[in-house]
Amino acid sequence: MSLFSYKKNKKKSDAWVKIAMFLVAAFMLLPFCWIISTSLRLPKESFSLPPSFFPTSFHIENYKRVFTELPFFNFIFNSIKITIVVTVGQSIVTSLAAYAFSRIKFKGRNVLFIIMLSGIMIPYQSTIIPKFLFVKALGIMDTHLALILPALIHPLGIFLVRQFMLTIPKSYDEAAYIDGATRFRIYWNILLPMSIPSIIVVSIMSFIMMWNDFMNPLIFISTYEKMTLPLGLTVLKGYMGTGSVSAILAGVSISLITPLLIYIFGQKYLMQGSALSGIKG
Amino acid sequence: MTNNKNLKLKYTKNNVKDTISAYLFLSPAIITFVLFVAGPVVLTVCYLCFTKYNIITPTEFVGLDNFIKLFDYPVTGTIFKNTLKYVVVLVPLHVIIGLLLAIGVSKEVSGRLKYFFRTAIYFPSVVTTASVAIAWTYLYNKDFGVINYFLNRLGADSIPWLISTKWSIPAIAIFSIWKFVGTPFLYYLIGIQNIPDSFYEAATIDGANKLQTFFKITIPLLSPTIFFVITTTFIGAMQIFEEPFLLTNGGPGDSSRTIALFIYEKAFKSYQMGYASAIAVILFIIILLLTLIQFSLQKKWVNYDYE
Repeated sequence: MSLFSYKKNKKKSDAWVKIAMFLVAAFMLLPFCWIISTSLRLPKESFSLPPSFFPTSFHIENYKRVFTELPFFNFIFNSIKITIVVTVGQSIVTSLAAYAFSRIKFKGRNVLFIIMLSGIMIPYQSTIIPKFLFVKALGIMDTHLALILPALIHPLGIFLVRQFMLTIPKSYDEAAYIDGATRFRIYWNILLPMSIPSIIVVSIMSFIMMWNDFMNPLIFISTYEKMTLPLGLTVLKGYMGTGSVSAILAGVSISLITPLLIYIFGQKYLMQGSALSGIKG
Repeated sequence: MTNNKNLKLKYTKNNVKDTISAYLFLSPAIITFVLFVAGPVVLTVCYLCFTKYNIITPTEFVGLDNFIKLFDYPVTGTIFKNTLKYVVVLVPLHVIIGLLLAIGVSKEVSGRLKYFFRTAIYFPSVVTTASVAIAWTYLYNKDFGVINYFLNRLGADSIPWLISTKWSIPAIAIFSIWKFVGTPFLYYLIGIQNIPDSFYEAATIDGANKLQTFFKITIPLLSPTIFFVITTTFIGAMQIFEEPFLLTNGGPGDSSRTIALFIYEKAFKSYQMGYASAIAVILFIIILLLTLIQFSLQKKWVNYDYE
């Protein structure tokens, strides 16, 4: 009897939960629908009400305008270039450090590890000014190196990859060491290939972080041709003004493609990344 | 055989040669860490905040002047108060809404719908903040914006979202929830999926009702995740920058200006690098102290037994 009433009760409440979830999903997704359908409207109709959430017209001109009036190809290319270089470079720096922390006993290991880990908690406001001065002193202001070099260090990534390497049995690489392999060969041929799953998780997290970065390009890049997509979009907004919202939204729509692809193909790793960083806390 | 054993020991033994090779492996990480993380923090905290520096003339040591100046300007009070408002609004909302959404999605039986809900809630978290913030400035438009259109249809008056001192922070908070609630949501969802079904079955057999299972099973078992979400959203809200920068530029007046935005403006618009550093140091200390307090309080309520 009690079991029966419990089941009935559950069914009823689930319907309400479902309705609420559909409303939430609508709230989350409608802005995207509006962005895309408005980007296909005539510029003078961008603000016409009622708003459309599904394309009513297909004016591709907005997309063409974005490319002809600003170096938008450069924005896209710069974003892709910087994000890929950082992701690859960071993976190398991270995995080399993780190998040393997980496989070699050396003086100062624990202290160094704790100091690097504490880097996770440092707010960027307390590093940005000296970073700016270093970048200036190195003579790389307004170049992509100013965005790439500071991003190569990723303390959380070092922590996660080290944790993963610790789970790989030592017997694999010990055997190679006894056979006379150098430490670099052990890292390159054994540990690095075996820790690829953790490196992918970390790479996807930093790919998204880098792709979406706004603060650093804002401070370090001033030439149009060198800007990344997020910064370029704010320039586009200032340049086009409120007269052609649909053209600005065409630019916004283009910027959504990469995160969408990353979500579709990398969600398994995004979930794993969240699981790992969540456990850390 | 003994030779092998010696080598095996040597592989993880502490000696000079190993220390050298370890530091070789670590050199790229150490160099970038010193140049772009540790060095900058030390420079900000120990040197720059006590100086006057505008890039052109050499740095000048001014002692505690920058910190004293903080109390002279009324705007400092405003930006600290505004940042506090963001923290007080955003942390509880992220913690609670994220949890409710995760419970809602975990209740869904159909796999496809579950996937759809998860994607809808999480997707805004991966898109570029700058680009969607630009789109939201139009959604928030007082006369032509979609949000006011719907409010009017529902019989409510138009709200001057981004152009009134009263509504600028709520507008930014709503955007921020839409943009970022997916992150805590995903942490919770993973946490809930890790709770074994047998716990709930046992509770049901013992006659516990839904509210009891929620407070006696779900919440205690999720407490490490809840703690993690509180800590990370707190640190994020203390440093909120892009949202006010792109939606209101801190305005109207100073009504939505935050500490992080103020530091950016002082450092890179008016080049008062020393003054900006002093504010950054205070922000750093506040974040550090409150994070430490949270860590010491967690022993009282966070439950790690089931991990």
